[in-house]
Amino acid sequence: MASHRNRSVRQILARLHARRVLHAYLFIAPVIVLFGIFRVAPAIQTLLYSFYKVELLRGRFTFIGLENFTALLTDEIFRKATVNTLTFVVTIVPISAFLGLILAVLFNAKFHLKEFFKAVYFAPMVTSTVAAAVVWWWMYNPQFGIFNVLLKLVGLPEQPWLMSSHMALPSIIIFSIWKTLGYNMIIYLAGLQAIPQQFYEAATIDGAGAVKRFWRISVPLLAPTTTFLLIYNGILAFQVFDQVFVLTGGGPANSTNVVVLDLYRQAFERYNFGYASAEAMVLFVFILGVTVVQYVYSKRFEVTY
Amino acid sequence: MSRSTLVAVGKLPLYLGVSGVAILMILPFYWMVMTAFVPAPDIIAFPPKWIPSRLTLQHFAEAFAKAPWLAYYWNSFVVAVVSVGCSLLFGLFAGYAFAVYRFPLQNFFFILILATLMVPVQVTSVALYILLAQIGWVDTYQGILAPNFASAFGVFMIQQGIKSIPVDLIEAARMDGAGETRIVLTIIAPLIKTTLATVAMILFLGSWNDFLWPVIVINSQDLRTIPVGIALFKDPYGSMNYGPLMAATVISTGPMLLAYIISQKYMIRGIALTGLKG
Repeated sequence: MASHRNRSVRQILARLHARRVLHAYLFIAPVIVLFGIFRVAPAIQTLLYSFYKVELLRGRFTFIGLENFTALLTDEIFRKATVNTLTFVVTIVPISAFLGLILAVLFNAKFHLKEFFKAVYFAPMVTSTVAAAVVWWWMYNPQFGIFNVLLKLVGLPEQPWLMSSHMALPSIIIFSIWKTLGYNMIIYLAGLQAIPQQFYEAATIDGAGAVKRFWRISVPLLAPTTTFLLIYNGILAFQVFDQVFVLTGGGPANSTNVVVLDLYRQAFERYNFGYASAEAMVLFVFILGVTVVQYVYSKRFEVTY
Repeated sequence: MSRSTLVAVGKLPLYLGVSGVAILMILPFYWMVMTAFVPAPDIIAFPPKWIPSRLTLQHFAEAFAKAPWLAYYWNSFVVAVVSVGCSLLFGLFAGYAFAVYRFPLQNFFFILILATLMVPVQVTSVALYILLAQIGWVDTYQGILAPNFASAFGVFMIQQGIKSIPVDLIEAARMDGAGETRIVLTIIAPLIKTTLATVAMILFLGSWNDFLWPVIVINSQDLRTIPVGIALFKDPYGSMNYGPLMAATVISTGPMLLAYIISQKYMIRGIALTGLKG
């Protein structure tokens, strides 16, 4: 009798469990199906296309092995785009993080109109990159743009900005710092506010000055925030496209060409889909690299502290 | 000197630093608005007129004559609303399943969804475009929406939000005979409305400002979203027609900036919060 009841309870539970599992699959189905079709499949397909010569209009797909990749190795423009992208990443990521940290420390103090200033610093973040870059394109104008007008006002030599192959990439980097600074600051500020005040008080009693408190308390305790910002900004920086498209279109003389722009041109202007797929794989390896490097680094960091 | 004056003087460098950077941050906005509203000769006056002596709407008239900005708005709006709506609805159910149920392959599917964050549309655009070309979605709303019907970020945030709800609450609703779908829509959704609003805001902003994928998949002028419209509006202006161009950027950034001015505190907090959750 008892065992009979036991079995029926177990049966009910099993049926309930089966229903839950069914519900679970029904509930995740839309996301899984949509992601499967529009994200996962194209990711795998891009990998496959990188070994093919794709002629879309003729519907012809020819397997050519590693030919796209060997062609990439000798492609001067792609090499330049890669170097520019790497330069962009290794300058913008640390500079934005560092300036963001400095600003966050300033904003951690009490002062009037703080919320107003915070809103001002953050405003570029919510503005469309394309529209903001159009404004900066006008500001960088060598003849009438505001930057040269200001230089002229204080008697400094005017600069060619986007017109010069030496200054164009730095000009794009300056724009990008302006665009992302507020975000870095806000994230660091949230991190700073999470540090217990007692740490600072104890250090002050022990005679540590403001600079020492910053290096010995704030910086180490902000390590997780820093790691997050480096990964997040690093991955985004490798995908840089909008501002380059608007400000320079990759010029002059490919001095600001970047991987995604070259990929875009190869695929959607020249219809070299296979070749562009190979470029996309290089981009993917870079993005993966950021994550792996940061992961390994943060593991080591955890051991030290 | 009184103590309060001393404190104020001590903070002088702080104020100078903070306002100095603030001027740099705000300069582009100021210059955009100035150029858009002053007559052509004043735009290139030297020394520059920081305070305009006369204003004009001429540049706006010209910008509107040259491109269908209202159509661009409509396109951006439709794409953003559908994308945010679908992402929230699908994300709500998926987030609930991942937070509340235990089922086979749960971790596999969850990691699969999060892994798509590692493979942005920049990487998949080629194959995605070919796929859409084969099913006839190139140059359509569905085409722009295809990679944005669901959001991995949304699923993750919503799953985190639902995890913080006590299980007893869900059990109590089940005892009362509420079906799972009803629980999700009438009990869970209101409880995590802050999370939902934050996710909605961030996804809306992302969709509204998205450029690469729309510029790839859209060919006809009628279907351009605002960023595509403004980027391609710029092209023919090699020389000096900056007035209409800046009027166009005011048209395209104005509403979003207004929304930001009204709700900046909330928007900043929302973005900072999600940043910390990573």
